[in-house]
Amino acid sequence: MPTKCDSEQLVSYLYDDLSGEDAAAFERHLRGCAACREDLAGFQGLRATLKTWAPPQPDLALTIADTRAGAHPGAAVHAHAHPHAPAHPHASWRAWWTPAAGLAAAAVFVLAAASALAHVEIRVGSDGFSVRTGWNTNPAPASTVVPSPAPGVDLARFDASVADMQRRLGELEAESHKPVIPSAVRMVSTGTANHMSDTEMLTRVRDLLAQSESRQQRELAIRIGQVVRDVDAQRVADLSRIQQGLGRIDAMTTADAAAHRELANYVITSTRQQK
Amino acid sequence: MPQDGQTPRGASKPTENVTSLGMASTDEELVARSMGGDLDSFNQLVLRWERPIYALAYRVIGREDDARDVCQETFLRAFRALGGFKGQAKFSSWLYRITLNLCRDWIRRQRRQPVAQAPEGVDLLDLATETTPAESIEDLVARRELSHAVARAMASLPDEQRTAIILKEYHGLTFQEIADLLDCPLSTVKTRLYQGLTVLRRQLAGAGLTGDSLTGRS
Repeated sequence: MPTKCDSEQLVSYLYDDLSGEDAAAFERHLRGCAACREDLAGFQGLRATLKTWAPPQPDLALTIADTRAGAHPGAAVHAHAHPHAPAHPHASWRAWWTPAAGLAAAAVFVLAAASALAHVEIRVGSDGFSVRTGWNTNPAPASTVVPSPAPGVDLARFDASVADMQRRLGELEAESHKPVIPSAVRMVSTGTANHMSDTEMLTRVRDLLAQSESRQQRELAIRIGQVVRDVDAQRVADLSRIQQGLGRIDAMTTADAAAHRELANYVITSTRQQK
Repeated sequence: MPQDGQTPRGASKPTENVTSLGMASTDEELVARSMGGDLDSFNQLVLRWERPIYALAYRVIGREDDARDVCQETFLRAFRALGGFKGQAKFSSWLYRITLNLCRDWIRRQRRQPVAQAPEGVDLLDLATETTPAESIEDLVARRELSHAVARAMASLPDEQRTAIILKEYHGLTFQEIADLLDCPLSTVKTRLYQGLTVLRRQLAGAGLTGDSLTGRS
């Protein structure tokens, strides 16, 4: 039987971890020890309070996906956390993600090519002949940028150069009407007639995808912000109305109570007078 | 056994899972099948334990996103190290140990005392979804405020005391299991619990929670 306070015994008793004999001994101690009784009561209340601390309930839906066929524990693995739990807990995210990503990439690819074709800029300047495509704001017509020959320049060479440019222009114009998407993408990227490797093209497409994604994220953020502001404003208005309603109810209740009290006093007074 | 609604999903008992055929698969059976290369079995274990593990990580480090990362990393490490799991301890204890180690690493990296996420305001729109017919909005707000007060008080505890209380109070581990997990004597676990509970009681009383609240009479 513990004759002095023992915090370990107290904790064991609190969590029902004492054997029958030890528990009985501790209860005998409790009967004579106000401090331990107070501690025990406080801790029991505290335990009830601690239950209120609940963690968030995220939609985890973690799955381990093995990236190597036939591999076993210890192999390369990835854990996926789905934003929303899939209907089948073990379904791979690739099943739905890959086609969607491919379609999106293809769509952006085609859009980029079409945009490039629609914004062809042909420039003839003192530095030679160039073709640019893209979102330039002030495309200069070829006819307006033909420079006058500088003094001392051979006119015959200049005429030959102009004729050559016109020929190449014609070729480019004819080529631009062909629906050849890769060449269009090359133009979008370089601004010249230089060819681009597959890696560069892929990089460019990825850049376009990233830009598109970034733009969509910004727009989404703006819209979400707007929704949050609207909801918040509505919430404030609703709370205000609730508070006003509660105030009115409180006033009415107070008035009713006062009337009842007055009536009761009148009845009591009348009864006494009759007696 | 987890005490606060963090019971492993799909399990009538912490170490059992009822299959579609009505057969129960224990953690140990699933572990054995996983070690044989059955990924689905391991994913069943993940599904069963992800919430308790997340809850443990959240309460120890106090941040939702980081707790999610710790939870994910716990299962990755467990899967990679499954070959070394000899079964001396329960699978859940092994997971808890990995989680606590990751939390300890996280706390060390942060180089500051973890602070539980406790929003300043009480969002009635959020609360509205939690309302039950028997609970008024006032009760709900009070409960949420109490929860935040508990989170703040827990965050103020030293790591050892907080971890001991979390494992005992919210995960229902025995004193011996906690001692094994924390690599300390049984008496130390009880002392940490006593000291931690004493501090919590004082903190919550100081936060305006009356003695009635702390004795469960509120």
